[in-house]
Amino acid sequence: MTDIDKPVDPNRTRNNIFIIAGTVVVVATYLYLIIAQPAAVGDGVASGGTPALITLAGYLLGAILIAFGAINRLPTTTVVLVPVAIAINIVVGQITSALGLPLYLDSIGTILVAVVAGPAAGAVTGGLSNVIWGLTLSPLALPFAIVAIVIGFVAGWAARIGVFRSYWAPPIAGIVTGIIAALASSPISAFIFGGATGGGTGAIVAAFQAFGNSLLASTTLQGLLSDPLDKLITFTVVMFILLALPTRFKQRFPFVRQYNVLPGMKKKATPAA
Amino acid sequence: MSTLYLDRPSPLNRLNPITKLVGVVSIIILVFALPYWWAPLAILILVVVPAALLARVGGRLLVVSGVLLVPLMIVIIVAQGFFNPRGETILFSLGSFNFSLEGLLFALAVGGRTVVLVTATMVLLFTTHPGKLLNALSKNGMPPKIAYVISSTLQIIPSFRTRADSILLAQRSRGLKTGGNPFRRFAVLIPLLSPLILGVFVDVDERSTAMEARAFGSTAKRTALEVLPDPLVEHIARWAVIIVALVALALSFIGALPQVSWPL
Repeated sequence: MTDIDKPVDPNRTRNNIFIIAGTVVVVATYLYLIIAQPAAVGDGVASGGTPALITLAGYLLGAILIAFGAINRLPTTTVVLVPVAIAINIVVGQITSALGLPLYLDSIGTILVAVVAGPAAGAVTGGLSNVIWGLTLSPLALPFAIVAIVIGFVAGWAARIGVFRSYWAPPIAGIVTGIIAALASSPISAFIFGGATGGGTGAIVAAFQAFGNSLLASTTLQGLLSDPLDKLITFTVVMFILLALPTRFKQRFPFVRQYNVLPGMKKKATPAA
Repeated sequence: MSTLYLDRPSPLNRLNPITKLVGVVSIIILVFALPYWWAPLAILILVVVPAALLARVGGRLLVVSGVLLVPLMIVIIVAQGFFNPRGETILFSLGSFNFSLEGLLFALAVGGRTVVLVTATMVLLFTTHPGKLLNALSKNGMPPKIAYVISSTLQIIPSFRTRADSILLAQRSRGLKTGGNPFRRFAVLIPLLSPLILGVFVDVDERSTAMEARAFGSTAKRTALEVLPDPLVEHIARWAVIIVALVALALSFIGALPQVSWPL
């Protein structure tokens, strides 16, 4: 490790507390929404927007805590990678919609960074991508920041356990990530936006409601319809990009060297600590 | 990349970014806390629209938020009007589908909240330069690395898009077809993405060395080059709005707000 590869982190404990606290807040919010199923918004029954506010507050607070904690753990070599990755997310996302493809493909940069730099880097890239979307294109993206954080985090862990070493596992990991993303985002669509986050997706949610599903079930089904396919393709595209990267470049990342995460690499017998 | 910021001098433009941010958060708490279907509408007309007019961004707000929100409102009114499970009072029928008053009010409440959320945030972004917002947030405890990532991304995106366009043109001149069925169009992405991503990753290395040499990773407390004015009046105003929002939230939470007809 050269000096700039080392995480400069004198506040390691504080940052870990931030990340753990953020995760606890998010998980507690999610469990409350799923288990208690506040009938309120879900079925259009009485009470104010309290569940919506809990969703918004819990997810945003959690996202902020996780982002604050995670970004301080990243070495400079990784931090400079993040803006590039966010630019990839946004530009490729816009090209995809310009080409008229029925996909988002707006997380290629996030997955790429997660694979070469680890779960914390993936989480930061995902979260800040949504902040940039919110600042430049549509504030509707802001409440979904936590979903992008989860996607980056899951992709980073998938890489760490060696998913990207093989050629068949990334698409499967993509499907799993897509399912997790759909489950994480459905309470946001249902409780905050009443199922309408866009013209097309809103119409699909309405169709599921017409078959007698609750609002939360409808947004979940809508997510399950689009997210796993989108992430399957994203993960596959990322695998092809990784294959095309020059070896010299791949070896630059400490996370890659430590866990041997890339296609064609062998699992280390004793991973260097 | 063009952010939503518009450089129009106005009293709102001169406010401290933190004051505006606290204002937006309070407005959002308020619309979600009040259990009345007309609450978002009232706040939109009484607070958001006057603020936009004061900041001379009314027309822009109408266009930008309209593009985003009109399709959304149509979908939610149609979906909830016809399919809300609580629908009893039928306003009209279309074939075997009934459009209910309860569904309509629910759509107005939930849709109205989204409208206020989006428009209030947009007024903030129209009147606040991203640099100033990040500067103010960094001074109030946000890690400076986040400010770096956001402002750096905003600068990278235009050059990145130019590079993507020139790669696409170069590949087309070699005979790459960009039209056709979805599978063919998807196949276009691969010869576009690999040169694009390889290209931008190459200069990342030098940048990190240069930045580390200038103490980017240092955790020492930094001073700001540009000091934003933050008068006492704004401090008081911030606390006032946040207290109003929290009181409304607390009353709503314990169910102490007066019930009116059509509660939601």
